[in-house]
Amino acid sequence: MSDVIFLPTDLASKRLEFLDAARNGQARLRDKDGTSLVMLPESRLRLLETLAKWWQAYMRLESFLRRTELPRASELGELAWLRSFERDDLEEFMSELHDALVAATADEDTVALDDCIRAWRITARQLEDPLRRSVLVGPHVPEDYVEASEPHDSE
Amino acid sequence: MVPMCQRITSKPASPMIPNSSYEPHVRARRPGGRPDEKPKYRVLVHRRFLMYYNELADRVGLKQAQQFWDHVSQDPGNPDPIASTCFLRGRSGRPKGPGWSRTIHYEVSSSARIDYQYHDAYTTEPDSDPHPVVAILTINYSSH
Repeated sequence: MSDVIFLPTDLASKRLEFLDAARNGQARLRDKDGTSLVMLPESRLRLLETLAKWWQAYMRLESFLRRTELPRASELGELAWLRSFERDDLEEFMSELHDALVAATADEDTVALDDCIRAWRITARQLEDPLRRSVLVGPHVPEDYVEASEPHDSE
Repeated sequence: MVPMCQRITSKPASPMIPNSSYEPHVRARRPGGRPDEKPKYRVLVHRRFLMYYNELADRVGLKQAQQFWDHVSQDPGNPDPIASTCFLRGRSGRPKGPGWSRTIHYEVSSSARIDYQYHDAYTTEPDSDPHPVVAILTINYSSH
């Protein structure tokens, strides 16, 4: 938290200092009515918004999984894409999401979180189709596999 | 049209796998006549997705289809320098058995994705020679 608090009149006389403080993390300004305002880099705002959104999702999902029955799509809301998963997968998702959130918070970077969400969303999409699901989660049966050769031009 | 997948029927099937078309000692040829490296990995495809595999070049273009082939037949365990890959998660991503990799999801194009696992020393029966294999599990042509 910055120690310097700017005033509205400083926006004219100390404009560069104000912008430097904002660029370096945050610039605080006390408005005439006492309201405290903060300017910060947009990337940091996005980081905080993303972390808040996913911590909230994590808590919500955690409460759903305390119940015996799995959450319905309508309960999951934005997370309805998780409906493809069984309980053990959802618990694994929760564990990985928690680790990714902790890493993203510590790193102040959402790369690990983005990778985690992306991989789970892709997996959910692959499981939507019953045939793909049966092969992906089923056992390996050697007789089910045939030789594949390199793609050719069809002409 | 030249088929992209072939069933080898010139040798008797493995005694462990009656009527199987899979033969562990015959490498897939590199069709097209290009004098490139021989495949290090045999490439297999799940028979339920054979039809989809046969459509790959028509769906994504020959260049991208061959890029996928080059990747899985040479170096399936490392990230492709061009295409996006990731491990599937949960049960879908777990190895099919000892020696199998996790499931790798390979984006051939924006509308073609392939899931595969690889095994560096696969055997079809206890006394057979171990050989590297890639097993294409699923192919998905729907766009995200």
